Amino acid sequence: MDWIMITFLRKWSLFTFAFFIRVVLVVFGVYQDKTMVVKYTDIDYHVFTDASQFITEGASPYRRATYRYTPLLAWLLTPNIYLTPVFGKLLFVTCDVVSSYLTYGILRGRGMSCQAACSYCSLWLLNPLPMGVSSRGNAESLLAVLVLSMLSCMERRHLAKAAFFYGLSVHMKIYPVTYALPLALSLRTREQANVGETTVPMGRRLARFLLGLLNRDVLQFFVIAGGVFCGLTLLFYHMYGWEFLQETYLYHLTRRDIRHNFSPYFYMLYLTAESSWSLALGLAAFLPQLALLLLTSLAFHSDLALCCFLHTAIFVSFNKVCTSQYFLWYLCLLPLVLPRLMLSLKQGLGLLVLWFAGQAIWLAPAYYLEFEGQNTFVLIWIAGLLFLAINTFILVQIISHYKQEDIHHCQKLD
Amino acid sequence: MVTKVLLCAVFLVVEIFGDTKTDEDNCDLSGKWLESIKVTRDIWKMGFHRELVTTVECGPSSPEKLQTLLVQNLPRGVYIDPYQLASLQQDTGLQVVLDSEVDLEAPAYESNGLFMFVYPTRDLQHPRHLQAVVPIHGRYHRPSSGQGWEQLEIEPPRLFLRANGCAQLLPAPHVLMDAPCSGYNLSMCKWMEIQLPQDQRNISLELPVGNQSLLVPVCTGTLLATLLCCVIIANAIWRHGFL
Repeated sequence: MDWIMITFLRKWSLFTFAFFIRVVLVVFGVYQDKTMVVKYTDIDYHVFTDASQFITEGASPYRRATYRYTPLLAWLLTPNIYLTPVFGKLLFVTCDVVSSYLTYGILRGRGMSCQAACSYCSLWLLNPLPMGVSSRGNAESLLAVLVLSMLSCMERRHLAKAAFFYGLSVHMKIYPVTYALPLALSLRTREQANVGETTVPMGRRLARFLLGLLNRDVLQFFVIAGGVFCGLTLLFYHMYGWEFLQETYLYHLTRRDIRHNFSPYFYMLYLTAESSWSLALGLAAFLPQLALLLLTSLAFHSDLALCCFLHTAIFVSFNKVCTSQYFLWYLCLLPLVLPRLMLSLKQGLGLLVLWFAGQAIWLAPAYYLEFEGQNTFVLIWIAGLLFLAINTFILVQIISHYKQEDIHHCQKLD
Repeated sequence: MVTKVLLCAVFLVVEIFGDTKTDEDNCDLSGKWLESIKVTRDIWKMGFHRELVTTVECGPSSPEKLQTLLVQNLPRGVYIDPYQLASLQQDTGLQVVLDSEVDLEAPAYESNGLFMFVYPTRDLQHPRHLQAVVPIHGRYHRPSSGQGWEQLEIEPPRLFLRANGCAQLLPAPHVLMDAPCSGYNLSMCKWMEIQLPQDQRNISLELPVGNQSLLVPVCTGTLLATLLCCVIIANAIWRHGFL
């Protein structure tokens, strides 16, 4: 067993092996698609490829129904048409490995040993979930690369680069927009801690706090990020018009899918879809999400990796629509959070089992509804609430066992 | 020399054409044969993803070149995925032509019914059977306070026939219709309607729907649970955050 561990913890062998498995999965996918009834390739990959086909014909990618992404993605995947249909999958699995390499860089930058950094990266590199998702042709790994690049640049104080990656990531998928507040807070000018701090009136402290947000770093960051975001938006608006705004941004902001999904709100939104208080309920569902995001930003902005992780996990868990791909948005940040968690291996594994159990409990009635025609709506609703409770429990465990200073877990490897 | 070859070619073409012409004269769609045509329908699979199976059984002496077309209306509670059709056309040779755009996500109450041309192909196990297996997907329906299921009725298709060049399949009068020649060839052909026996019945499927009478408990439960989870997380952040 020892030699296997030692080989894996050598950086290059681990990353090469992880890439190799993913390429094997891509090749297997081609084989399965050709020979079996159940296809390996995700439906979204066909959507991307069809949209790229329209691009190569000089048409709008939005002619493909359900293409709800930036045209950049369809542009990026035009080699699917010109070169080979698996180009996109190879790109996604490469991004998968690259994102882990960025994690490795961040962990090493914090002073962690090569072996320890590799062991944390292997949680992503050897994890069947991201492997499956990207080799089936989902583009989530592109976002992982952008978000981790942003965090990596922030840790090294390369603000302009970080801002560029941030602007691009918000353009690609709207969810990192919630990181704006913690980013601004982490860049603000900090007050000098005075002994008589507590005697300063609340109003003046608030004014000082707000003024602290108006410094050069914050302005530079948001001018660049905003420039990238607005530049791309204007460019694509000019090319594809209103349809682009509608499909890329507005659809995701106003999305209210009544079909079953992991969200705790799904059954309520389905039952009230046509009712007059549907809008009020939508707002009521939005408030916990908003309150927690604000509180997390204030509490954890000094540790951006943790803050982004909590932000994404809260955003996804309390969202009105939630599918399993969304889980990858925060899982890619987990290797940055884990080294500072004071949980034993047993506790960690326990939480992991709990998380998967929550999904399994939801998947069983969802399967019976979708493929067996049984009326399991109530069970799916209860399972959705249970999954939220499990996520809440895990988040509380993470928040309460997190220590800001670095703890090296090298001894775990021996 | 060249002229000789050309002449020969023209001669051959005429002869082949002539041959088919004599074949076509034997269209032989007697009333008896027509009576032997049977259309049977079935729905395979359960849940929201079903297969509508239509089989046309022809009598023993059916013409070789006979082509069939089923014109099928679908209620608004189900839809067909045109992208899935395109992939199935490549994989299994399924030929279906839809007449309009399909919204793949809308609930039933915001959708329209569909109209499709289905070209059944010869079943390899039963050479006299022409069959089409068309995947259909259920839409979400309005929640109800009743049984918990919505019953959808799919009306019987209309059957049309065509044989290459057979202008006169049947003694007049009969209904002719212009429709795409096949799933691969969208140019228009003349199709002749065959009256099916009157005993064709609707085929039905059931889809689960939400229970409207649970509206209040579901809303209260959801809002309380999410609020509780929100408070628990907020409390943890308050106690352990770096505020």
